[in-house]
Amino acid sequence: MDPSGLPLMQMITHRMEWLNQRQKVLAENIANANTPGYQAIDLEEPDFAAVLGRSRLKAVTLAVTNSGHIDFNTGGANAAVAKERDVEATPTGNTVVLEEQMIKVAETQMDYQLTANLYAKHISMLKKALGR
Amino acid sequence: MDLMKSMAVSASGLKAQSARMRVISENIANAQSVAVSAGADPYRRKIITFANELDKATGANTVTVKSVDEDSSAFNKRYDPGHPAANSAGYVVMPNVNSLIEMMDMRQAQRSYEANLNTIESAKQMMMRTVSLLQNQ
Repeated sequence: MDPSGLPLMQMITHRMEWLNQRQKVLAENIANANTPGYQAIDLEEPDFAAVLGRSRLKAVTLAVTNSGHIDFNTGGANAAVAKERDVEATPTGNTVVLEEQMIKVAETQMDYQLTANLYAKHISMLKKALGR
Repeated sequence: MDLMKSMAVSASGLKAQSARMRVISENIANAQSVAVSAGADPYRRKIITFANELDKATGANTVTVKSVDEDSSAFNKRYDPGHPAANSAGYVVMPNVNSLIEMMDMRQAQRSYEANLNTIESAKQMMMRTVSLLQNQ
């Protein structure tokens, strides 16, 4: 049995990729905290309902009848980068608030720990089932 | 891997902030650097500007020093008739450095530097956690 094919493992991998990329985006924001005109960015939160809809209920999607069509149905691992809303801007047009970014970094780190622990736990459960 | 990129971005932030600290310390060190003769200009305050740069190798938005310009604001004046650089009215032209502004700028640079360091630390811990998944499995 391939453990990477399990839905939980796929979800964990997906989540870790998302957190990885978010960490990069937050690092970009913090590095550019004093760059004039820089707009703070963040990743879009994964939509639980949309994920559920994709796996269980067949939602109405765009048909791809030609190879030239853009396929919107494949939910890529990388969520779209969205501009942050409702932020204060400095006189130079920079919208990075260091405190907010630091909280987000801590949040990302904690979520990553949680996901990694879940992964380790799941593997140990599988091993227990195998009797090792 | 995104965590490596994250560290590279934070490192560029550290570099930019340390360049800023250098300019600030130049300004503070030269706060009293007057001209040697009347009519000559004293030290002019320097301003550093950052720019957002896309690192093509990693695809990350790093930060670089765009330019170090001179502050075009007016010089300060001090009444000191005995000074060799004093003009006919007895005034010596002083650099346009305000130590309060420099101090504030320095604090901001320090805060940004710490934020970048924290981000590196956090990325490092995330990486260590990933590596530790390989252990005891």
